[in-house]
Amino acid sequence: MSTQKMHIDRYERNWMIVSAVLLVLFASAVSVAAFGLGIQVPAPEQRVNPNTVATDPNSPWSNPGLREVAPGKYDAYILAHAIPNWEYLPKEISVPVGSSVSFYVTSPDVQHGFKIQNTNANFMVIPGQVSKLTITFDEPGTYNYICTEYCGSGHGVMYGAIIVTP
Amino acid sequence: MAKKDKEEDEFRPTGTIAVLTVFVITLIAIWATIYVILVQRGGTL
Amino acid sequence: MNQYQVSPAEKKFIGSHLLVAILALAVGSLFGPLQAFEHAGWDFYQYLKPFIKSYYQGLTVHGVLNALVWTTFFIMGFLTFLVIFGLKRQLKNPTLNKVGFWMMVVGVVAAAIPILTNQATVLFTFYPPLKANWAFYVGLTLVVVGSWVEGWGLFMTYAAWRKENPNERTPFVAFASLITAALWQICTLGVAVEILTMLLPLSLGLIDGVDPQLARTYFWFTGHPLVYFWLLPAYISWYAFLPRQASNSKMFSDSLARLSFWIFLVLSTPLGFHHQYVDPGVPPVWKFIHSMLTFGVFFPSMMTAFTVIASLEMGARKNGGKGAFGWIGKLNWSDPSVAAQLLAGILFFFGGMGGLTNASYNVNLVLHNTAFIPGHFHLTVATAVTLSFMGISYWLVPYLTGRKLWQPKWATIQAWVWFVGMIIFSNSMHVLGLLGAPRRVPLGLAPYVPAEWNSRLFQVGLGGAILFVSGAIYLLVMLKTATNKERVESEVIVPVADSLQDVAQTPAWLDRWAPWLYGSIALIVIVYGPQLVDQIANIALTSPGFRVW
Repeated sequence: MSTQKMHIDRYERNWMIVSAVLLVLFASAVSVAAFGLGIQVPAPEQRVNPNTVATDPNSPWSNPGLREVAPGKYDAYILAHAIPNWEYLPKEISVPVGSSVSFYVTSPDVQHGFKIQNTNANFMVIPGQVSKLTITFDEPGTYNYICTEYCGSGHGVMYGAIIVTP
Repeated sequence: MAKKDKEEDEFRPTGTIAVLTVFVITLIAIWATIYVILVQRGGTL
Repeated sequence: MNQYQVSPAEKKFIGSHLLVAILALAVGSLFGPLQAFEHAGWDFYQYLKPFIKSYYQGLTVHGVLNALVWTTFFIMGFLTFLVIFGLKRQLKNPTLNKVGFWMMVVGVVAAAIPILTNQATVLFTFYPPLKANWAFYVGLTLVVVGSWVEGWGLFMTYAAWRKENPNERTPFVAFASLITAALWQICTLGVAVEILTMLLPLSLGLIDGVDPQLARTYFWFTGHPLVYFWLLPAYISWYAFLPRQASNSKMFSDSLARLSFWIFLVLSTPLGFHHQYVDPGVPPVWKFIHSMLTFGVFFPSMMTAFTVIASLEMGARKNGGKGAFGWIGKLNWSDPSVAAQLLAGILFFFGGMGGLTNASYNVNLVLHNTAFIPGHFHLTVATAVTLSFMGISYWLVPYLTGRKLWQPKWATIQAWVWFVGMIIFSNSMHVLGLLGAPRRVPLGLAPYVPAEWNSRLFQVGLGGAILFVSGAIYLLVMLKTATNKERVESEVIVPVADSLQDVAQTPAWLDRWAPWLYGSIALIVIVYGPQLVDQIANIALTSPGFRVW
């Protein structure tokens, strides 16, 4: 009984093969983008204490903002919070075109989101964790960063802007 | 108990293949469009 | 043809599930249009104060009642029916099932009170450190545990049937239902641990802080297989009833149908990280592994698509259907149950495409938490599942109550109006997402909305209005059917399709639980174990609860 074979219609078998090939193609394209083109998702960066991250003088997020680490390379420490107001600190950042900015974002209170429009920066901001991605701004313009995770009443007005100067 | 008749025996799901072909083409088009957006926006490392 | 007679008491029991489900849908669906109108710039929330304090409170009602209560109650009722009818056997321990049902009802009430009094405006994902009133978490726990208890009643019934029928293949509708119930038991462990070790103690003041990243990992352990809990009952109907209803046809491949359900059992849970691709605390290697498994779980849905469509086509051709696509017109579109499920299936194609795209690892960077996401899940849970359940209720409610379906033409219209409304709503949400619009935001008021979004925001409102009309028609038809003085002339025939192949030819290994269950658990341990151990070992209960609404 256990050696019974399953009868599969020829068309259905071909469809299953096509499906599998298609999925392999998608998986390959994803792998090329991730491992070949450096388009990666966030990785564990740092653990912090959300209760002190915004106030401890040794914490970069107690003085959030842009720091130039090399010509054309910046670190941006951004604090996302809901208390006392729904906002990002700083609310605005300015860099010259061609700059590469590494964003380090955390929250001292609830979960938030962080999405820089028209870029691949899009991640969760979770108290106790630091979210990091690096974006190179090749085009001048204004790039809003907006909150994409419910964080209370003011979630919908929570945003900032990156000004990329020509 | 299923009793197969001649029509069922001779049935070939060509219409199914037609529908699923439309599905696959649409899927590839949509997936590729969004993948291109991803790639155009560049690296994150 | 003589069908097994489900007893009046059991019909009543099953019917109570549908009653709670439809009541939940009625209340939950009120807020959908309000949200859609808000996006278009028409604010109706001002008229609802003091009852509903905010967009977010409404959104919590909408998500919890529609995504958790309507679904769970309909599903448990439908699975209970399918096990009884499929096994041709009464429930082994009806009291146990009843206890489970009432636990679920008490749970809904317990969660509803804080939601309606604005003490649990945490949305249906209730991510900590948002902190709701403790009764909200108790309520959710009771709903989940109640569904477990009902599941145990179904498993006991199966065990009794197996003793009485040691060599028979499990009838497909019962087989698939039991796998769905088993999947649910396994996957709900995640959210149960989240609630019992973090959320409930936090809300009761027993602990001072939680670890939000770990809480997300627990939640999404359940959150992905949750969608299969929703979807598989619709698949059962598409596999086992729709071929007969739509074209007097048979199940094209009983074996592959069964195999697809086993694959769902094994692959539904070990891929929850695809909801966490952009979480900071989960390493990319595990996210990537889960993404590959997610491509894998797409496979049984592709199998389902073939088997279901081929089953329909076979019957349509017998009825004279011609051409590559013309045969579709020969399906029984005038039956509202058929129309609803065919339309649900058509939109599900797009839901599946969007889902695969969301799940494609780094492609998620384009889409995460944008309006693309609710665009996607309104095609899946709100159409593939919900519209199919509506379609099922068009024969199931007459079957359970003995009353005729009120105005089948209106039921058919309802399905088409849902279809049109959903296309407009969901398409505009998908496009808005690609333009960068976030989810969970009252976009009508957001300060960063560019002019480019406005035409789509209007379409969201338009789609919502049309869906509202369809929802109202559905509720009217259900109400009028349940109270219809006209009774059915004879017992409603449960439209179960025969199998094309002799079911006895289905290999025995497709009817053995042990290997699939062990495989399922093993895979979960392999792809979740290391991260769970790591996150728990490094747990930091540092986040106090917040009430930010």
